[in-house]
Amino acid sequence: MSAEIENSPVPQQEAATLPFLTTSLDAVINWGRSNSLWPFPFATACCAIEFMSLMSARYDFARFGTEFMRFTPRQSDLLMIMGTVTYKQAPILRRIYEQMSAPRWVIAVGACASSGGFYDSYCTVPGIDHIIPVDVFIAGCPPRPEAYIEAAVQLQEKIKDESFLTERLARLRDRGEDLPS
Amino acid sequence: MRVLDRTGEKLDLLTVNIGPSHPATHGSLRIICGLEGETIKAAVAEIGYLHRGFEKMVERGTYQQVMPYTDRLNYCSAILNNIAFSKAVESMFEIQITERCKVLRVLMSEFTRIVDHLICVAAALADLGAQTAYFYYFVPREDAMIILEKLTGARLTNSFSRIGGLYRDTYEGFETDVLDFLKKTEESLSDVFKLVDRNRIFLDRTQGIGCITPELAISYGWTGPCLRATGVDRDLRKDQPYFDYQTYDFDTIVGTRGDTYDRLMVRLFEAKESISIVRQAIKRLKPGPINVSDPRVSQPQHEFAYHDMEALINRFKLVYEGVRVPQGEHYDALEAANGELGFFITSDGTGNPWRIKVRPPCLTQFAAFHNLVEGGMVSDAIACLSSINIIAGELDR
Amino acid sequence: MKTLGTDYTKALVPATAADISCAQQSTFDWLASRFPLDQDPLAKLSTSAIVRREDLHEVVQALRDTPEFAYDMLIDIIGIDYLNYPGHQGPRFAVTYLFKSMRFAAHRFQLKVLVDEEDLVVPSLHDLFHIANWAEREVWDLFGIRFEGHPNMKRLLNHFEFVGHPLRKDYPAQKRQWLSTNDPLLDQLEARLRENGMELIDPIPLNTPAVEDVIKGSRR
Repeated sequence: MSAEIENSPVPQQEAATLPFLTTSLDAVINWGRSNSLWPFPFATACCAIEFMSLMSARYDFARFGTEFMRFTPRQSDLLMIMGTVTYKQAPILRRIYEQMSAPRWVIAVGACASSGGFYDSYCTVPGIDHIIPVDVFIAGCPPRPEAYIEAAVQLQEKIKDESFLTERLARLRDRGEDLPS
Repeated sequence: MRVLDRTGEKLDLLTVNIGPSHPATHGSLRIICGLEGETIKAAVAEIGYLHRGFEKMVERGTYQQVMPYTDRLNYCSAILNNIAFSKAVESMFEIQITERCKVLRVLMSEFTRIVDHLICVAAALADLGAQTAYFYYFVPREDAMIILEKLTGARLTNSFSRIGGLYRDTYEGFETDVLDFLKKTEESLSDVFKLVDRNRIFLDRTQGIGCITPELAISYGWTGPCLRATGVDRDLRKDQPYFDYQTYDFDTIVGTRGDTYDRLMVRLFEAKESISIVRQAIKRLKPGPINVSDPRVSQPQHEFAYHDMEALINRFKLVYEGVRVPQGEHYDALEAANGELGFFITSDGTGNPWRIKVRPPCLTQFAAFHNLVEGGMVSDAIACLSSINIIAGELDR
Repeated sequence: MKTLGTDYTKALVPATAADISCAQQSTFDWLASRFPLDQDPLAKLSTSAIVRREDLHEVVQALRDTPEFAYDMLIDIIGIDYLNYPGHQGPRFAVTYLFKSMRFAAHRFQLKVLVDEEDLVVPSLHDLFHIANWAEREVWDLFGIRFEGHPNMKRLLNHFEFVGHPLRKDYPAQKRQWLSTNDPLLDQLEARLRENGMELIDPIPLNTPAVEDVIKGSRR
């Protein structure tokens, strides 16, 4: 938020002594959102075992604000799909995504979730983007824990570019309403 | 839903669906139960949520290309799957692998068996609320991952075995790395054992929960640690020894009651036996070739392939057409971490397999799941499920 | 279940490869003296039998309950499709049964039943081995071979809206089929309640909402 402080009309030295901080609403909200991502692990296959490594002491995914794993989509804002999604699983994945409340983001972990991987068969969905929108894809079969961390950081960057107000406006327009005066 | 009991009592049952996306169903399984209060009156399990078409996929490639698919069957102990598949193909060729390869295969099998048991017990204890064990176990497990990465190039899906040998020989300093890992594992095993050994909560939640009789378990085709937990002393490493297992000194761990406690403890102690086997195997490691010199299965060395026409053709044929397994059908199995892991191979004499059927040990255990949980509480069902160690990749293929 | 008085807690005498093939030969000879059967030409490394479909149940029961053999574990049931298999003659499909004994370390045996494409029926073994229930469902799912007398002949691995049998050689590997909603499984739960000796007064209400309703409900 240092950029906002520099551009503020109050002189910098004076601003440092003031008991408040001026910034844009988007910056504050995105700062909060990006640093407290609560993941819902939709774990189906091998990538989930690497996710266990990721949550354990050596890699410690909690450092990136993903402290709580929530096993209910209602309380989480990051959906991590780890493993192959089959046609039998597809309606469930769709339903879980629909149950999450906005804002919500999706990470497709590994080759299977991203593209079906080398299971090009009658029962696997060739990439979960056939079912739900995806924000970040991770390559690898399974990806290394470092790749998970990189994806989380990339997602944080992406969230920082979002605009809370524009989003809300678009949502209101979708419903045919106007901004409350 | 209302039902009439055997005694004529009227019960009001609640239908509860668990899974397929549930924290306790490691992977994607689905159980639907009829509950009276918290007691399970009837349970039905459904599988197939991770059916990826293994058996259809492998029919398209060569035998060597099956290897990465076998990694993803039981992804907790990938090397054991690789070895099981290459052993099955080798037995169709009737070739004998080299002495060093045998010892290394035993070493790697037991090494991955330790890792598999660590994950299973860690996850089971985490499901019971003992998160500490999970952190204790994942310290040596990460060391194991580093060793595997140095040796095979991959952390989890190793594809280490080859038909007629192994992908490569060990690296320098492998023995000390493994011995170091074993020491750390022993420490964390005894730490966790101290945590649960006389822990009232653990004992109450596991002892006498999810019992199964040996007769029923055998009728369901149970093998491996889960069968041994019921008191049946059967282990393929002892009964039909392969890779010279009869010359190693180890015990089979047998339970008494076949409950959740026994299943977890059998795994804990089996990991200790595996540690001792790995130590014995390290002592036996002697320099020598790791691949058989059989032109039907193994590629000629680089220097021959560059200077010798026949060797070049041999190499080209093996890469392009694959290993040509003699026509016929054969079933071959070994003792994997979960039980008897077998491959039934039908070959038509070409480089592509006609049909490969896996015999997954998980499937038999999960087929009996309703017998384990009916009459118990819902929370006991969770403890039960994690103790039989269901790996969805193997269960659904 | 019959146990034949086997002491499971006692360890077995280890078996060598020679023991195993010897046990297979003696099992085959014993069976051949009682039932009409052929030797399986494809099983080149072992002595396996091809039995007639109508004898299957009897043969398996004899193998399980005879104390000298005691094949008390059904390892697996395997379906095979021999469409265009080089040099293959006779029926298109086969079902292979693998058995193992808990009483003798060396005892492993393999049976095969040939199934014609016009009449894809095999007797079910679910009353002899519990695992046969799921194993037979799997074969039905992947090959479309029906097991006569099976209590619940439903697909095991693929979803219930799936059409066709994917492991047949004429099923294209990439022919994908979408599923609209999941199986509520309530009929199986009802059947299981009856098995456990309970009598249903009123049926289970199907309270699973359709996917569209869930989507509509979660939209803001």
